[in-house]
Amino acid sequence: MTLNPGAPPVLEIRDLVKRYRNGTLANDRISLALRPGEIYGLLGPNGAGKTTLVRQVLGVLKPTSGTITLDGRDAVADPGFARASIGFLPQGQFDLLSLRVGELIDYSARLRGMSTADARRRRDELAGQLDLGPFLQTSMHAASGGVRRMAGFAAAIAAPARLLVLDEPTNDVDPIRRQLLWNAIGELGANGATVLLVTHNLAEAERFIDRLAIIDGGRIVREGTPGALRSLVTDKLRLELVLTGAVTPHPALTREHADSGTYLFDQRDLPAVSNWLTAVREAGFLSDFRIGPPTLDDIYAAVMTPSRQLEAVS
Amino acid sequence: MNVVSQYRDLLGIQLRSMRDEVWMIAIIQVMLGVGLMLGTGYLIPNISDMSATFLVTGCAVQAFVTMGLVMLPQLLAQSKAEGRIEYFLTMPVSREAYLLALITVVAITALPGVAFTLGFGAWVYGLSFGFEPAFLAVTVLCILSLAGVGVALAMFSPHQQLVNATTQLIIFYVLFFSPVILPASQLPEVLQQSAKLAPPTYAADGVRATLTDLPGTNLGKDLVVMSGFAVGSIALSAFAIRRRG
Repeated sequence: MTLNPGAPPVLEIRDLVKRYRNGTLANDRISLALRPGEIYGLLGPNGAGKTTLVRQVLGVLKPTSGTITLDGRDAVADPGFARASIGFLPQGQFDLLSLRVGELIDYSARLRGMSTADARRRRDELAGQLDLGPFLQTSMHAASGGVRRMAGFAAAIAAPARLLVLDEPTNDVDPIRRQLLWNAIGELGANGATVLLVTHNLAEAERFIDRLAIIDGGRIVREGTPGALRSLVTDKLRLELVLTGAVTPHPALTREHADSGTYLFDQRDLPAVSNWLTAVREAGFLSDFRIGPPTLDDIYAAVMTPSRQLEAVS
Repeated sequence: MNVVSQYRDLLGIQLRSMRDEVWMIAIIQVMLGVGLMLGTGYLIPNISDMSATFLVTGCAVQAFVTMGLVMLPQLLAQSKAEGRIEYFLTMPVSREAYLLALITVVAITALPGVAFTLGFGAWVYGLSFGFEPAFLAVTVLCILSLAGVGVALAMFSPHQQLVNATTQLIIFYVLFFSPVILPASQLPEVLQQSAKLAPPTYAADGVRATLTDLPGTNLGKDLVVMSGFAVGSIALSAFAIRRRG
């Protein structure tokens, strides 16, 4: 889908502040706008304020101040309009007990205004697309976490919506279904759906996101296209390393997370790092390595403060 | 989509979500009503028809109390803690339709216990119950007032544990300290007065007024007070469910 930068935004948030009754400032003057057909990523560590933001967009929470408009309409004053316009996949693993996977999709479509026949047709279509066919008769509490997540995703996209809010859609989903899910998200974007995507799975999301915002401490600390944000680490290279013994990393390498095997280093240190890799391989400690350009993970790591990185990892 | 279709679908979701448990809950309700009636009956040698009538109707009402004031708030508090309620609240559905669907589930699971306790009690003690059309109104108001208060309890409680503890107290109170199973005249004055604030008192009195010729009932008052509890508690619950933090 070709984005039209001049088109009025589907979702526009201005100076949004949410302070809870206990004094916690969860969102601090957040402003963002999603254009029609855009897949917008929302990244940030746990407790950064992403879910609070999403709950306000959905009309479950009321902002302390600021505005949220959906298709130009005040969503704070009219939360019913917001709910009618948004398809939503929550972050948590909600257990709908004995409700069957097919029933969840079916009912979700009907409660969002589809006729019984159309809802059934859509359910079968989604079952094929997301490989849920064998599980349509499985009750939600008997389904695996991944199948439940896929069922929740199917329920969120079952009926047409102006905006889709997907909170960590790939949690618990196995790699094959994850691919089906990302393909479906990509297809939604290609068909003009506007998607607000909250995720930690940056590596996989990168292919589909048009723009993203990184939230920390309730504020947007960076916003832009993945390409533009990548310029923050444009002088870096990424090294993924699998070692078979305890080896002291080359001083030019900066470990991305405390317990990861991924490092960043300056491009100008490439010869020195190559020599070090050769030495480690000859010593028999190098199992595998890969050098490439930085990813969204690296941008995220570069933007976040060290303490937040540790929190994100935990 | 109109509110009636929403109610139908939300009720379908609730019943299908509980399809593995709903029949078991209904059977337990039957066993509780009958068990309570027989067990309490053993405490009263040579039980008179009047006492037996009081006991059987009280035990039947106990099924409404157990479902509306105990099981429903506990299930709701669990749903709230696990995010199920919020999930439905993000859908474009009427909050009142959602509440009504929950209350209908209470009716469906409680009614077999009520009917079986009345029928079995009549057979065991050789009683015959009359039937007034007003009994249908009493039944509806029993369900609405008790389940309404149960929903409000779950919606306003900050913690699931608080709901669980409160409902334990409620069942204890209704069984031993209210004029549902025991005649008001046998209760101390303080309990007689406090019973005037409890919806089960009017539920039990309304059932007795429409099925039996026991003296001292006041159907008009029962209908008015139960209506008040029903409207008040459902309005409060609707407020709680609409409230945005």
